[in-house]
Formats: sequence, C-alpha cells, structure tokens
Amino acid sequence: MRRVLPWAALGVVVLVVLAWAAWPDGGTATPRERARDLATELRCPDCEGLSVADSSTSSARAIRADLRRRLAAGETEDEVRRAYVDRYGESILLKPEGRGLGVLVWGLPVVVFVLGAGGLALALARWRREPQLHATAADEALVDETRRSDHA
Amino acid sequence: MSHPARWIAIAVAVVVVGIGVVLATQVGSDPRADTTTSQLVGGPAPRLALRDLDGHTVDSTSLTGKAVIVNFWNTWCVPCQEELPALQSFAASHRNDPDVAIVGVVRDDTKPTVRDYVKAEGIGWTIAMDPGSQAALAFGTRGQPETFAISPDGIVAGAQIGPVNEHSLEKMLAAARRQGT
Amino acid sequence: MKASLGVLALALGASFAAIGIVTLALGIRRRDDSLLRLGRRFVFGVLVAGILAVVAMEWALLSHDFSLQYVAQNNARSTPLLFTITGLWAALEGSILLWILVLGGFLAFAAHKFRARATDPLVAWATLVGLVIALFFFALVLGPANPFKTLAVVPANGNGPNPLLQNHPLMAFHPPMLYLGYVGFTIPFMFAIAALITGRFGEGWLTDTRRATLVAWGFLSVGVLLGAWWSYEVLGWGGYWAWDPVENASLLPWLTATAFIHSVIIQERRGMLRVWNLSLIIATFCLTILGTFLTRSGIINSVHSFTESGIGPWLLTFLGLVAATGIGLIAWRGDALRSPGRLDSPVSRESAFLVNNLLFAGLAFVVLLGTVYPLLAEALQGRRLSVGEPYFERMTTPIGIALLFLMAVAPALPWRVTQGEVLRRRLVIPAWIGGLTMVVALVLGARGVTDLLVFGLAAFALAAIVRQFYVGARARRIAHHEGWARATARSVRSNPRLYGGLIVHVGVVLIAVALAASSSYSTKAELRLAKGESATVDGYRLTYLGNTVTVSDQKRVVKARVRIERGGDDLGVYAPAVNIFPNSTSAIGTPSVRTGLLRDVYLTLISSPVDGGRVTLGVAVNPMVVWLWIGGGFLAVGTTIALLPGLRRRRPEAPVESPEAVEPDPVPA
Repeated sequence: MRRVLPWAALGVVVLVVLAWAAWPDGGTATPRERARDLATELRCPDCEGLSVADSSTSSARAIRADLRRRLAAGETEDEVRRAYVDRYGESILLKPEGRGLGVLVWGLPVVVFVLGAGGLALALARWRREPQLHATAADEALVDETRRSDHA
Repeated sequence: MSHPARWIAIAVAVVVVGIGVVLATQVGSDPRADTTTSQLVGGPAPRLALRDLDGHTVDSTSLTGKAVIVNFWNTWCVPCQEELPALQSFAASHRNDPDVAIVGVVRDDTKPTVRDYVKAEGIGWTIAMDPGSQAALAFGTRGQPETFAISPDGIVAGAQIGPVNEHSLEKMLAAARRQGT
Repeated sequence: MKASLGVLALALGASFAAIGIVTLALGIRRRDDSLLRLGRRFVFGVLVAGILAVVAMEWALLSHDFSLQYVAQNNARSTPLLFTITGLWAALEGSILLWILVLGGFLAFAAHKFRARATDPLVAWATLVGLVIALFFFALVLGPANPFKTLAVVPANGNGPNPLLQNHPLMAFHPPMLYLGYVGFTIPFMFAIAALITGRFGEGWLTDTRRATLVAWGFLSVGVLLGAWWSYEVLGWGGYWAWDPVENASLLPWLTATAFIHSVIIQERRGMLRVWNLSLIIATFCLTILGTFLTRSGIINSVHSFTESGIGPWLLTFLGLVAATGIGLIAWRGDALRSPGRLDSPVSRESAFLVNNLLFAGLAFVVLLGTVYPLLAEALQGRRLSVGEPYFERMTTPIGIALLFLMAVAPALPWRVTQGEVLRRRLVIPAWIGGLTMVVALVLGARGVTDLLVFGLAAFALAAIVRQFYVGARARRIAHHEGWARATARSVRSNPRLYGGLIVHVGVVLIAVALAASSSYSTKAELRLAKGESATVDGYRLTYLGNTVTVSDQKRVVKARVRIERGGDDLGVYAPAVNIFPNSTSAIGTPSVRTGLLRDVYLTLISSPVDGGRVTLGVAVNPMVVWLWIGGGFLAVGTTIALLPGLRRRRPEAPVESPEAVEPDPVPA
C-alpha cells in the first residue's frame, strides 16, 4: 500500500488538473471566438491550402469579416459551412465531412489503431502461451555441428 | 502456423496497388482544371447591390431582361490589365445591343485610383465599387480577374477565372442568351 | 559545350551503373570473386560521373549560359552569386542531378567501407541494388528530366529563379539537407534487400548500416526542421507547418525512419522484430521516392510544385517496382523470417519499442491518408476536397501524446521483464515533476487538456532523462572518484549511443512543448497605422516609423520600419518587407521576426503605404517558437554523439563483456 500511495496521489492530482481544464468556461464562446474557430476550418480560396484564419490575403480578411457577421446574425456553424460549400465547393472545407467517403478518412485510422492494439494483444498472449521449451530440428543440428567442430 | 508476415505483406500489397492505381489515373489530369469552374454555374446569380464611382446605386434587379457580363477586377492586378483590351473591344462590338450589359466590380482598391484609371483607359461600362468584398464573396470569387455571365432571367450561365479574351467573352454571352430558352 | 559535357557525364554514369550491375550479377551467379571485385569499382565511376555532371551544370549557371533551357529558366544575369549556385536545385531537373551526386557519394562511401568484404554475397547484392537505383535516376535525367536540354534560340537573359527561391540564404541548406537524408536511406535499404535475397536476415545487415542510417536520419530531421524554419521566417504566412502535401511528403519517411532506428535496437539485442525492420526500411525508401513523386509530378498543387513534367509516370512506375520487390521478397521469405527472440512480458523495454513501432506506423498512416485522400476522392467520386490542419491536428495529437509518455517511461524499463517495484522507484520522482508542472501550467493560465498533458509529459520525460544522466554519472563518481562534470562526460563517452539518443529525446521534448505552446497561445492582430502612430498588442507597443524603398537588379523592396517596445524597454526596429521581382506578377512578402526566448513578435507587411501613408501590418505574438530550433540543435548534437564509436572496456578487472556498456542500476533494496 505504501508503494502505491505516491502514485495514487499523483493520479488524483493529474485528474483534478485535467478536470479543471476541461471544465467548460462559464458561458458560450463569443461570436468572435466562434468565428475564429470556424476560420481555421475554411480554406482561403486564393491560397494553396492555408486556412482563412492564417492567411492575410484580402479574400481571407473579407471572409473573416463575413463569418463574424453571419455568426453574430445568428446563423449556426453548420449553416455557414453549407453556405460556403454552396459558393466555393467542397474543397473550401479543410476538415472533410464525415458522410460518404469521409467515413474513410476519419474511420480508417481508428480501425487501424484497433487492429494494431488487437494484434499486439494477440501477439503478447501467444508469446505467453507458447514458451519455446522444445528444440527445433534446426537447433539440434546446430548443437550437433558445434559438438563435432569442438571435437575436430 | 505460418508467419503472419506473408499475409500482412499481401494485404499491404493490395492497398499499395490500390493507391498506385488511383495516383496513376490522376497523373494525366490537370490539377488546375477545377479552379476554372465555379459552383454558381446553373444556379441563380447573387444579387449585386453596390455603388458606382459617382455614388449611384448599381442594382442587379434593374438588369433583369438583359444578359449581363460581371467582371471582377482592380487596377493593380496584372492579368486584369492584360484582359482590358479584350473587354473594351467586346464592349465596343455590343455597344448598340440593348440586351447586353457589362458591369465591372472593383475590390481592394481606392476610388481615386479607379477613377483615374477608368478615365485614362476610356472604360465605358458601369464600374461598381465593392469595398468590403461582399459581392466578391457572394459570387465565390477565387482570385482576380474573374468573369461571370448572367442570363436575362438571372441564372449564372458561365464563369471564367483568369483573364478573358474576346472569344471566351462571346462564348459566355451566347451561353447566357441561350439559358432559359 | 557544357551541355555536351553534362550529357556525356550522365551517359557515362549510366553506362558505369549498367556495366557494374551486369558484372556483379555475373560475379554472384558464377561465384567469381574477381568479377565481384571489379564490379564494385564501377560505383566510383558513377560518383565521378555525378561530380562531372554537377560541375558542368554549375559552370553553365555561373557563366549564365542561357543556351541551356534549365539555366534560362532558373537563372538571370542579375541573380546574386549564392542563388546562381543554388540554382542547381531550384527546379526538378537540376535537383535530380543533386540526387545523383549524393547517391554516388553514399554508394562510394559504402563501397569503400565494405571493400574488405567485396566478395561477400550480401555486400555484392547490396552494391548491385544500389547501382540499379542509380541507373534509374540516370535514366530519368537522360530521358524526361534532362537538365542539359539546349534552346535553339538563345535568350539574352534568363527568367531568374522563382522569387520564393531567391529570397533567403536558407535556400542553400534546406534542399541539400533533405536530399542527404532521403538519399542516405538508400544504404540500409539496399542492404535490407540484399539480406532478403541472400537469406541472411540476421542482425548483420543492421550493424553494417547502423551509422549510415543514423546519419541519414540526422540530415532528414534537420532538413525537415529547416523547412519549418523557412516556412516561418521566409514565407511569411505566420506559421511553420501548413500540412502542405509536400511538407507531409518529407515527414512520412522521417516517421518510418524514426520507428526504424528504434526498432533495430531490439533486433540487435534480442533478435526480434525482423519483419518489422525490413518492412520499415523498405517503407522508408518507398516513401522517399513517393515524396519526390508528390513534390515533382505536379499532381498536388502546392508551394513546391513549380513544374509539372513528364516524370510522374516514371517515378510512379519505379515506386511500384520497388514496393513490389520489397513486398514480394518478404512474402517469399515468409516463414523463414520468424525471429528467434520472444517477448517475455508486456511491460518491458521490448514491448515499449514494439508499441513505439505501432505508434509511428500509425502516425505515418494518418499523415499518408490525409495527404492522399483528396486524390482518392477525386478518382473515385470526382469530388474536390481539401484536408488541412484541423484533420491532421485532431489525428496526430493523441499519438504524439502517447509517444511523449513512451519517451518518458521506456528508457527506465528494464529488458525482458520488469519488477513493478523497480519501475515505480525509478519513475516516481520524474512523474511527480510532471504532475507538478501540470499544476504550475494550469496556474499560469494554460487551458486545454491536450496542452496540459503535453507540458506534464514533457516535464516527466525531461526529468526521466536527467535521472538517467545522474545515475550514470553517480556510478562513475563512486567507481572512479571523479567530479560531476568529468563523470558525466566520461559516462556519455562510454555509451554514446544511449546518451546521444537521450539528448535527441531532449530535443524532441522541447519541440513538442514548442508545438503545443505556439499553436494554442498565439495572439494575432492587424494594425492600420499612420506614420508615427502606435498600437499595443499583447503587451508590445508597436510604432510605425515610416517606409523605405530599395531597388536593385534583382528586386525592388518596400520596407516598413516598426519600433517594438515592451514595458518601456526599446526592443529595436524591425522591418517587414514586400519584394517585387521584375519577372513575376506577385509580390513576395518577407516577415520580420523579433525572436525571444519566451515569445516571438512576428511582423508582416500586408498593404504598402499607398493611400494616405497608412500601412497595414500583421502582428502575431507567438510563444516558444525559438524552442523548435533549439530542439533541432539538440537533435543534431545528440545524433552526432550517437555516431561516436563506443569505448570498449579493456581493463581485465572489468566485468564480463556485453556489447554495450551496461547501464549501472542500483540493486533493488
């Protein structure tokens, strides 16, 4: 029990800190903050792949202003995204949508992770169950050859 | 039991071949081709409600019944300067067509500079200022210059990003006239 | 004349490679030692040919010989000397020349290093594979990507390099470093293939190529970080990593290579993970080729793809052949690859390395998926999509955190089996330091579960690393009665691989902290200032002093001078600029960065002082960015130390040998 105590205490400290940080701040985000977050999800149309939040081209600034306006007027993030997709096409979104083919890009990593973890667990279990207690024919041959060369 | 390596290798091979085939089919296609098509084509044109250089309103509702060429530009973008002669000869050849209108929309520029430029170049069609880039956003422009053709009943019939020439302008106008017939 | 010399050199190189391949193949087939010894000499011929070709191109560049199409496209009379020289790698064709030169160098180094074993089939096959790769690249430059193509009409002046490539001296370092990294992995790859072919997939090929792998990894790491530095200080969009397809292309081989350099330690010690290691190095090499394909074929729009050329199909075919060969060989050898070693316990250093492999492979998979997904979607459904930062951040952050945790815990894990007590005792203080750091970070204002975890785990890892140094030095102190400094130095010297690796980990931890801090706590603003006007951003007072215009042959530069003050202290005058090049329609912005230990002030000039003398400045205050570069420094130092030869104990009274100096562990009480 004494050995585990420092670790249990540490666990409590860490959990408290994380819970405190994860606790939602009082009140929802301001339209400005929401606009900033949304701006990181939209691609600046005349850049090579920068987000609207990062780019300083005039269209990016115009879009940021437009986002603030729309969110302040009460539109939801989804409505704004839809409006921009209608205007610019799907490639304006930097985060692929989860429907249709998008399931692949979000789901595959999870599948791969699960497979990997599963494979690891299986491998560990198999290694545990099959300790190599029996010599293979190759091992026997090696020992014989060593004996012979020792005598030679 | 055989080493899983063999089966994993085959699975990986299938994936790699799949990706390879996908990449191979894309090699020939022009990655920039898509940027010349606009999402708006075939749909209703956004409303223009701007002011021209003298402060009068330019409203697209007053242009219904005409085929409208909307050209987004400004004075300092080099391809815009390059396409100006084509626009001018297009305007000249349709000067007496009552059902054709040209509207130039300027963003990221200042009134005095535009006024001077219009005067120096003898630009005869309506020029509207888009100070907050609202019209540019509404039309989903991706750069400068960008030109749209709107049919008499308000449908976007054609769009081109990049400088136009007379041929492409005539094509867009024909498409706008055909739309809805 | 220079064009002919260049083409001749390339043709010679191709011939040497081809003859070398045939000679070695015959020598292996007939077990003819003299043929094998002869065959390896052609490697040096390949190197000489590469040198000649590069010399011819540099000569053409330096003499502004515009009869060569490549020089006309990438050089002008007004191009400064440095950028004339770097013009060699300014575009596709020339950069393949660089690749050939570096490849020739590495192959010659390997041929020289293994000269005593020239008749060993493993070495012979490896050299053969190396020459086949060289032959491919020669075929590329003699075919679709010929840098020595001449123009019928010689222009009076050339276009000059792309403006982005003549803005900063870093152009001299970033591509060569990357190439040294990419090409360096050819050596372990060719030995891996040789091992599969000859059936000698024990540990021999690993130890033979260990140093080359580390050197390549070191250069690739520095190359990638230089790319980030360039993005930040030169390109001026405000960040250091855009998850651009080409950036990802350089990251992918780095990820698999990092997994590889860790995983080989397990194979050396315990003979395990053979298939993993073979697969990882084959994947790394394939990814370097894929990276070149993505960058240079124009298939993906990016900051880097200045040219679209016909080499796409060639690279893709080569990549397919390499992948098919590697996978085919592994599938063929199948069962014989079974490793003799076994995992004894799920909590051991071996399993930590195995988990490490899985995490890095997962990371590489995610980055590859995100990069290739838009192409997939377009091919399968005709949709145009983008995948950008939000996706990559969301996917890679959990894996990064898991890796930080592993970095803290794994070096303390014993081999084979762990007694819980040993592990707990070793890690309790570093873990508490991590926990307390989280509390401090929370108090100082850090929010976000991810950031706190990163800070806490980083402190945990750093403390665990310091503990390693301390334990090693303390043992020496006790044994040899040395002072702390001497003991630490000697202890590092006696096991450079371990301590070099720990220093590299310090670098990685610093980079992780910098990544978390700078992405979450940056402040951005745009200021519109008239001359003499000031504004304050995040405690910094910025005053616009006026602008200057400088004109040179190469470009016209408009600078806005800004004074930065904080708390009354004058921090200096910084001048973000806009560069206008004669042959380009777009202007290139240059940011001005005040680098500080805790914060950077990042200034960009958004709009020139046109109307009314007002200027629009972009201001960002980015915390901790300098620690990315400092971390890179640690990476370089650690890699260099890890390359040092270990000292073998010679004194007779020393305990029984182990291949590496055993880390002295206090006996559990």
